Amino acid sequence: MTQKFPITYPVLATGTRYRWDKVRNQHQLVFPEGMMVLNEPGRAIVKLCDGRSTDDLIAALKETYPGSEPSDDVFEFLDQLAERGLIHDGSVDD
Amino acid sequence: MMDPLTTRPLALLAEVTYRCPLQCPYCSNPLELGRYRKELDTSTWVRVFREAAELGVVQLHLSGGEPLVRRDIMELVQEASRAGLYTNMSTGATVVDDRKLEQLREAGLDHLQVSLLDTEPESNDRLAGAASFDRKRQAVLGAKRLGFPVTLNVVLHRQNLDRIAEVIAIAQEWKVNRLELAHTQYTGWAFRNRAALMPTRKQLERAHEVVERARAAGTGGVDVLHVLPDYYFDQYPKACLQGWGMVSMSVAPDGFVLPCQTAREIPGLEFPNVSEYSLEQIWTGAPVFKRFRGTDWMPEPCRSCDKKEVDFGGCRCQAFLMTGDVNATDPVCQLSPQHHLVDEALKEAEQDAPPLHFRVMSS
Ligand code: SF4
Ligand code: SF4
Repeated sequence: MTQKFPITYPVLATGTRYRWDKVRNQHQLVFPEGMMVLNEPGRAIVKLCDGRSTDDLIAALKETYPGSEPSDDVFEFLDQLAERGLIHDGSVDD
Repeated sequence: MMDPLTTRPLALLAEVTYRCPLQCPYCSNPLELGRYRKELDTSTWVRVFREAAELGVVQLHLSGGEPLVRRDIMELVQEASRAGLYTNMSTGATVVDDRKLEQLREAGLDHLQVSLLDTEPESNDRLAGAASFDRKRQAVLGAKRLGFPVTLNVVLHRQNLDRIAEVIAIAQEWKVNRLELAHTQYTGWAFRNRAALMPTRKQLERAHEVVERARAAGTGGVDVLHVLPDYYFDQYPKACLQGWGMVSMSVAPDGFVLPCQTAREIPGLEFPNVSEYSLEQIWTGAPVFKRFRGTDWMPEPCRSCDKKEVDFGGCRCQAFLMTGDVNATDPVCQLSPQHHLVDEALKEAEQDAPPLHFRVMSS
């Protein structure tokens, strides 16, 4: 699939951070004025948005989830995050 | 429908003081500011933040007044952040310099919201009642240098709406992350100044066009939020607070806990205080939180309306201020028997504007 927001080195945008909500037992991505509930794979992806390339990110996911073929889903999720301004490309100065 | 007893609040608005060096004529603080001079001490606020985190609050909004006039503000930010809250601060940014910004960063503040009244320095300063444009500009640039995500908040009304293109341009120039174009909510001082603040329909239509055009052209990394005011275009009211006592609560400087920051203007409501009860007791048990929670309190036409769980009958403060009856359907709704009140206000907005009353601490 093609990415609407092609990002090669995803990093979380400033002010966006992962949070474990112990009251609701939830993984969350929190940012100014909002919050997104993450499932397990979502959390794994978000934790890997540290400036490594999407190829490395997918490779690392395969290690975490052996036997899985993550790709389209990952790009789709990254697209969602990018559209909401929650990640940006770490190789581009902004 | 959500069950309020299992639903937990996501946001807490902490108005840590009503003191403020500015005098914005649309300020949402109560008109009788002089009656509420008492402020909670540091340790009580810290307890409130911890209780909030335990209750499930995710986002804390430190606001006021001007939160930065509190001497213990760094400690408050630090403790809020330590409690695990995502900590936002709304500031007029007139009492902050680079050193203070750095301290805020170190204390763990997550997000800074700076208010700007107008893009013309002269008009900004006139509306704020004090020279403040340059300081606001310095603060935004300083915060960006330090790596804060910054939201520029511009409250829109008749006297600045025609410069909306300039507002978007300044947000881009200052490289803020978000621009919140908020139309004036007619409560507090804004209700008193309503006739001077309400834009004409023409102004609004033009502003809407400008925003749409800017969006289409791309706003250069600035996320532009713009919600049109409900008086003008909506057939139904907005879901105020996403429902009374459903997702948020607000603590006033003196410790009274309100379902909505402007609820103090509604007479006859009794608010609990954090010095007597925990936030959890208040959220689950205080009569004022249950008062308009859900749909049982609703009169007709809301009661038999299929939108009652969409907009919850609109804003209670607006309903009270306009109709005198806090139980009334929000008159913004076309189905409201008092919808003519909105039409009359809109008609008035087409006339010449009266002078502004600036916010003052006395009375
Ligand atoms: S709206 Fe203006 S006067 Fe009111 S608290 Fe904010 S900065 Fe101060
Ligand atoms: S009648 Fe009440 S519930 Fe129905 S749309 Fe109007 S305000 Fe909302």
